[in-house]
Amino acid sequence: MTEITLDNDLVSHDIIVIGAGLAGLRAAIEIHDMGMNVAVISKVHPIRSHSGAAQGGINASLGSDDSWEAHAFDTIKGSDYLADQDTVEVLCKEAPERVIEMENWGCNFSRRENGRVAQRPFGGAGFPRTCFAGDRTGHNLLHTLYEQVIKRNIRIYSEWFVTKLLVGKGRCLGCVAMNMADSKIVAFRSEATILATGGYGRIYQRSTNAIINRGHGISLAYNAGVPLEDMEFVQFHPTTLFGTNILITEGARGEGGYLLNKDNERFMERYAKDTMELAPRDIVARAIQKEVDEGRGFPGGFVHLDLRHLGKDRIDKRLAGIRQISVDFAGIDPVKKPIPVQPGQHYSMGGVSSDINGRTPMTGLYAIGECACISVHGANRLGGNSLLDTVVFGRRAGAAAVEHVRLSGREDEDVSLDVSGKMKRDEEKEIGDLMTGEGESFATIRDELQSVMQQYAGIFRNRQGLEHALEEISKLKKRASKLKVKSRVKVFNLELMNALELKGMLELGHVIIMGALAREESRGAHYRTDHLERDDENWLKHTLAYKDEEPRLEYKAVNIGMFQPQKREY
Amino acid sequence: MVRITILRQEGDRKWYDTFEVEERPGMTVLEALFQVQERLDGSLCFRYSCRGAVCGSCAMLINRRPGLACRTQLSDVKGEVIDQSDKHRVLLKKGSQDPKKEEVLVEPLPNLKVIRDLVVDMEHFYRLVDSIKPWINIPDDKSPQENIIDPELQMQIGRYTNCILCSTCHGSCPAAARNGKYLGPAALAKAWRFYLDPRSNKEDLADLLSRVDSKEGIWGCDVVYNCVSVCPRKVPPTTAILKLRDVLEKE
Repeated sequence: MTEITLDNDLVSHDIIVIGAGLAGLRAAIEIHDMGMNVAVISKVHPIRSHSGAAQGGINASLGSDDSWEAHAFDTIKGSDYLADQDTVEVLCKEAPERVIEMENWGCNFSRRENGRVAQRPFGGAGFPRTCFAGDRTGHNLLHTLYEQVIKRNIRIYSEWFVTKLLVGKGRCLGCVAMNMADSKIVAFRSEATILATGGYGRIYQRSTNAIINRGHGISLAYNAGVPLEDMEFVQFHPTTLFGTNILITEGARGEGGYLLNKDNERFMERYAKDTMELAPRDIVARAIQKEVDEGRGFPGGFVHLDLRHLGKDRIDKRLAGIRQISVDFAGIDPVKKPIPVQPGQHYSMGGVSSDINGRTPMTGLYAIGECACISVHGANRLGGNSLLDTVVFGRRAGAAAVEHVRLSGREDEDVSLDVSGKMKRDEEKEIGDLMTGEGESFATIRDELQSVMQQYAGIFRNRQGLEHALEEISKLKKRASKLKVKSRVKVFNLELMNALELKGMLELGHVIIMGALAREESRGAHYRTDHLERDDENWLKHTLAYKDEEPRLEYKAVNIGMFQPQKREY
Repeated sequence: MVRITILRQEGDRKWYDTFEVEERPGMTVLEALFQVQERLDGSLCFRYSCRGAVCGSCAMLINRRPGLACRTQLSDVKGEVIDQSDKHRVLLKKGSQDPKKEEVLVEPLPNLKVIRDLVVDMEHFYRLVDSIKPWINIPDDKSPQENIIDPELQMQIGRYTNCILCSTCHGSCPAAARNGKYLGPAALAKAWRFYLDPRSNKEDLADLLSRVDSKEGIWGCDVVYNCVSVCPRKVPPTTAILKLRDVLEKE
């Protein structure tokens, strides 16, 4: 790894990638291989990124009796017809090539008896097309990409926290970032900037996400005037470990696990009689929540995920990570006892509005992976499609950014120096103000935000609750405008980072609630108990939220291709 | 309430701070650190990310044993009696339980320079791992095609790809404590992982073996299995080191 030695306040790279999970690393590799100078900025070391926590797998129609069209149909039906079909086509067509590329780079995929990459069934899929590395697929993919990044000697600014995007003449010119090691603030100039910063799970009380997943990158774009798309669509994973909400992979059901209520009934029969436990996530999550709400769950609010009939051998071969998590965090060995599970926030279908090449409406700014809404997942993402999304659109955005820099020429140096100098000084003043005087600290405001989101913008929503949540968010934002950081340390000031991130979390909460209140229908993960049906006539459209005093909502059409919307049944 | 005593460090100044945290069922040492950082002393610093023992950020010494803070239950360690006979030695086995004791000791992971409080210089560790060139090279002219790998071999490789580079092993290693240039258990386990992998090409394997064939490499290991006993992912670096020794001895 290269040492970070900076002797001035302005650093320049052709292209900057913010975020070092799978999407960011894949983009960086593409840019490097196309011969352009690239740097990756990440608030954590790349291998600590949340991509590494993904368990179940990555979808690709590798089988000779499977096809990209079948994969696309499952994805679009799973999305409740909100996904853009042109982008889904790209996702599914490029899947086999990207997965084989990861295999070639050394990813330790699980194998069939004949030595070929194994595939398992997953929710909402008509074919077993999920490739996996045990139940540690994200970990294996992330380490493989990281190895390829190290091999290429790509510059990584590890433990640097981006605080603003540089914008001049309506164009993204880079970013301002703080080195966590000494709190120094530096302007990064680039001709193109790629956001790959992941999701915002931690604005909810119960989330499978890493603690670092606070949606900060999404709020950077929003604050810079870039619209956020479909933010009201929040995925709740059906099976998270009761207590800590650590993910228990869909692969556990893919391998044959049962969901049981307190009466020992496989209740999915009443919700999705054909696909049972392997219905899509929105349907299974609602079913579990309904069982709990109607008194058929276990005390505390959970159901059982029973793997015992799979036997120790299969559990150890295919679900070793799940076994270890259950033992470490719940004191339960799934070989002997069922796992207590409940739904928890898991994934953001929405994000920074971006297109088939990751381009956002702002020139020079790209967004990929979970922080983006491309939109391939629509109203509900299928398991195994998010890892795929990262490598497919990571590569494409990297290539598109290189083309953009080659074709559009470089921004006038005087303009960019003016902008970066001014924005860096503004940022230093803003942070300085935050650290002067007395005021409320971030933690209580964050706890209240998480509780509001969990209660009113969760699996089940209605007008009354959302209107109340809107009032609460406004109050929290007012309090946050006066919040202060007490700690004055320069080296790893976590309190400062938490305070800066909280402001962005409140913005995202606001956008989610506004979008959910406006959308008077139920589609995919957005379920309104006061509007139970999908309403294609009025709502087959994407939400776009722009920053204003209150988020300003606009709408845009969904790209419909070969699959006309039908009733969604499983 | 449980007392958590933390070794703090800023520059050359070192001191212990003790905080009282409110215990709730299932609470981990990482959660206790968050309670301190968020409610009691905002200046405390430590690394974290996944809180589920998969990202490898929060390795530290807990009651003198190297481990992940997120994977350590407060209830398991608060009553533990710490063997204080040799303050420079990391402990590997759990101490006996004293039901009246309600205190846990948290210190930075040894064998890496402290940056501040519980944050250590991981760059040193990463450089050691990267120095063995842990990656697959593909010739530019090779067209992408699925490799066939025996499922048994895939499982063997998996024992080593499970490594999350948390450096718990490095913090427990007596050879790393003596010699800052020793490649360490994580790098050597990774070397064996790439040696096993049929996708590694022959020239790279020869290069790999030459990189670990030294006193700073596999011959520097004390074969005391500390790394194996502390690994939160059950990776066995000592086994890898012995296998690499076998390979080199046979050559």
